[in-house]
Amino acid sequence: MSASTSNETVTPDLSAIARPPQVLNNRGPLWVTDAVCSIVEGKTPLWWYAAISISGTFAAIGGACILYMIITGVGVWGSNSPAFWAWDITNFIFWVSMAHAGSFISAVLFLTRQRWSLSVSRAAEAMTVFAIVCAGVYPAIHIGRVWFVWFLFPVPNNYGMWPNFSSPLLWDVFAVTSYLTVSSLFWFAGMIPDLAVLRDRATTKIRKFCYGVASLGWLGTARQWRHYESMYVVLAGLTSVLVVTVTTIVASDCATSVIPGWHATIFPFYFMVGAVYSGCATVLTLLIPLRALYPQLKDLITPAQLEKVAMLLLMMASCVGYVYVYELFCAWYSGNAFERGAFWERFHGTAAWYAITCLSINLTIPQLFWFKRVRTCLPLVFVLAILCNVGMWFERFMIVTTSLLHDFLPSAWGNFHPSIVDILTATGTLGIFFTLFLLFIRFVPIMSMNELKAVLPGTQPQHGEGH
Amino acid sequence: MSDETTHLPPAETFDYKHVGGRFIGLCVTAIVTLLISLVLGIGNPQQFAFSWLFAGWFFVTILIGSLFWVIVHHATDAAWSVGIRRQLENISCQLPLLALLLLPLLFVAPKVWTWMAESPTHNHELAEKAAYLNVDFFWIRTAVYFLLFGIVALLFRRNSLAQDQDGAAIHSIRNRRIAFFIIPFGAIALTFWSFDWMMGLNIRFVSTIFGIYNFAGAVLAALCVIILLANALRSAGYLKRVLTAQHNFAFGKLLLAFTLFWGWIAFVQYMLIWYANIPEETSFYVLRSTGSWKVLGILLVVGHFIIPFCLLLFRGPKANARFLGVVAFWILTMHLLDVYMLVLPVLHPEGFQPAVLDVVALLAIGSTLGAFFLKGLGDSPLWPSRDPRLAEAVNFND
Repeated sequence: MSASTSNETVTPDLSAIARPPQVLNNRGPLWVTDAVCSIVEGKTPLWWYAAISISGTFAAIGGACILYMIITGVGVWGSNSPAFWAWDITNFIFWVSMAHAGSFISAVLFLTRQRWSLSVSRAAEAMTVFAIVCAGVYPAIHIGRVWFVWFLFPVPNNYGMWPNFSSPLLWDVFAVTSYLTVSSLFWFAGMIPDLAVLRDRATTKIRKFCYGVASLGWLGTARQWRHYESMYVVLAGLTSVLVVTVTTIVASDCATSVIPGWHATIFPFYFMVGAVYSGCATVLTLLIPLRALYPQLKDLITPAQLEKVAMLLLMMASCVGYVYVYELFCAWYSGNAFERGAFWERFHGTAAWYAITCLSINLTIPQLFWFKRVRTCLPLVFVLAILCNVGMWFERFMIVTTSLLHDFLPSAWGNFHPSIVDILTATGTLGIFFTLFLLFIRFVPIMSMNELKAVLPGTQPQHGEGH
Repeated sequence: MSDETTHLPPAETFDYKHVGGRFIGLCVTAIVTLLISLVLGIGNPQQFAFSWLFAGWFFVTILIGSLFWVIVHHATDAAWSVGIRRQLENISCQLPLLALLLLPLLFVAPKVWTWMAESPTHNHELAEKAAYLNVDFFWIRTAVYFLLFGIVALLFRRNSLAQDQDGAAIHSIRNRRIAFFIIPFGAIALTFWSFDWMMGLNIRFVSTIFGIYNFAGAVLAALCVIILLANALRSAGYLKRVLTAQHNFAFGKLLLAFTLFWGWIAFVQYMLIWYANIPEETSFYVLRSTGSWKVLGILLVVGHFIIPFCLLLFRGPKANARFLGVVAFWILTMHLLDVYMLVLPVLHPEGFQPAVLDVVALLAIGSTLGAFFLKGLGDSPLWPSRDPRLAEAVNFND
């Protein structure tokens, strides 16, 4: 059967919906290489020394607090009956969730061929790895007797000391270590061709040696590229799946229980969207100052790309808002006095300000991104992104701790007050994160030069030929 | 005008006379099955109520899923899906007709949503939820769902058809605004709809993820329908200029992604309910693990997730339209089973009891929708012929 066709004149109008360029000011491949490599090759700026001194100090204080806790015991934390899980697990979930967004932005958007994310993906991957490192601080120390941490690994099986494999806490260990391994590999694999560029441009023997080792003998031959592309797709696929599985397992820490406020089937989805939301906020928090501090990046990290991250943040924040609505509705709809009571106390009890702060921020601040004027005002986006992460921290605390404060027995209800060790350990993880990120921007290419060059005008085989 | 416009394919219009025999066949099937449903329904109103709800919800999910893909297309300013968007619009615009077809539920509702026949004064659980679960509010909500989604579907199509006339980008921008508007309201509406129609079959059962579970099934089902429709139109000689092997690959990737999404949501709902072991929640799965339902439950896990996952994992087959068609048909069948497993175990808790009305209801609603869809197919070009993103869509390279 043949298709009937009409002979209308086709006059599409692209001007109103033209897509923004990937790189501004018609920059060429050489310019991209120079711009990215100059951050590593150039003189270390003074602000970098100042920043790493501050972050390093916080990290050192955090480390000292951890040591003090190990020597003295978990009593130095504010955790106590009924809230035995407090800032430790709150911060663990906060960091591990942030890690997911980096992989989402990088791996999922890579698999869906969202080229706008190329400029931000490397930094997002770095954020993933560093956030997992920060998250990894807590599972070991929150068990109290850190010298028994090896019980969490499969090693004790050889001694007949079977750990509880049906516990989500054990799944956490497997999940987070798998995620750290694969996301580190994904991050490193993406850097190999760029590290080879740094090697080839190195002017000192030490640099040449270090980048030579790190680039694993990369020559950029067609054969290497073929293998590389296949490997990268497989790693992207694995990372994407791991994002979902790790989120599910972390959410199961709470959701497998029967504690009102913890047991909800929506928790894995809740944690997933919350993770991407906070991760997008962190990407904006990191990249907006970065492009201001390195002006050459302004043509590579464009306002249009940051606007897209802000839109993704808005989408995920709306999903988080959706979950708030249905958690509250289902608590009421269940007709269960304990469920209803848990949510009532969440907003009326002694710790109500946590929940009120969380909802006030997460339901309002991201919604400002509906307005283009807000999305394109980068200083404002920076401030709002920080607020979003503050809101997400409060959300984690609301879920983990306030649910424990009001369980089945009113006589057992209590309150939680963080100790100075809690606070300094938390700021210590912030210090670790920023220290690692500062080292990252100083020593490795902060964006994928090879991928960026591939989307420059004139580099695609079909560009401008209309076929 | 850019140089790319000269390569754009001219608009194609479907001539339904070419499928006149099939169209008449659909019309006859629709009339006959509607009449049989009426006769059998008078004889066994309870079975009719459940069968009609089962068939109705199956088509609700397909139509809402199609609308979701239109929304995603506009919200993300996508180009690759321009070639198939008109068909998604055509499918979602069947919502008003579906609302008419589901009117019989008004008369048999208490047979299927038994809480409607009970008084809150005699049922403590119902009394706790009476502010939400009352008959008047239930039907007001149902009307709102149909109106909200129906109006949005018609608005998308109206702007799309207007663009066929003048090619102005403003229509794309308007549709993008509508898409942004409907995302939050649509998510809330679909969730409450699935709570009302599916979760409301057992008012003791509560699962916060239930709306997303139904959404996952709807999106996947609509994707399967559009793949099958694209294949059918291409085999009839249409759409070949706007849908290439690259589009097949994109379909395949989405099919895999949403198969995983459905599997994830279904798994976490089951796992968390099984693990916590709270009677109000486990009753949902206990019922569906009783007798022969257990076999169908296992088939659902294997058929809806494991088999499509394995088939779609590899790159090569995903670009093959025929292969994709087979997988899409299989997943659609599994979605049918999924909806069946949501509805019918409530009527037959002792085990699987197939009824003629299940098939007849499915045929009645399906063939009526199909006939009207086919009749309207020729009213507009088969793709948005002057969409500003058409050149990008034709040149799409995944």
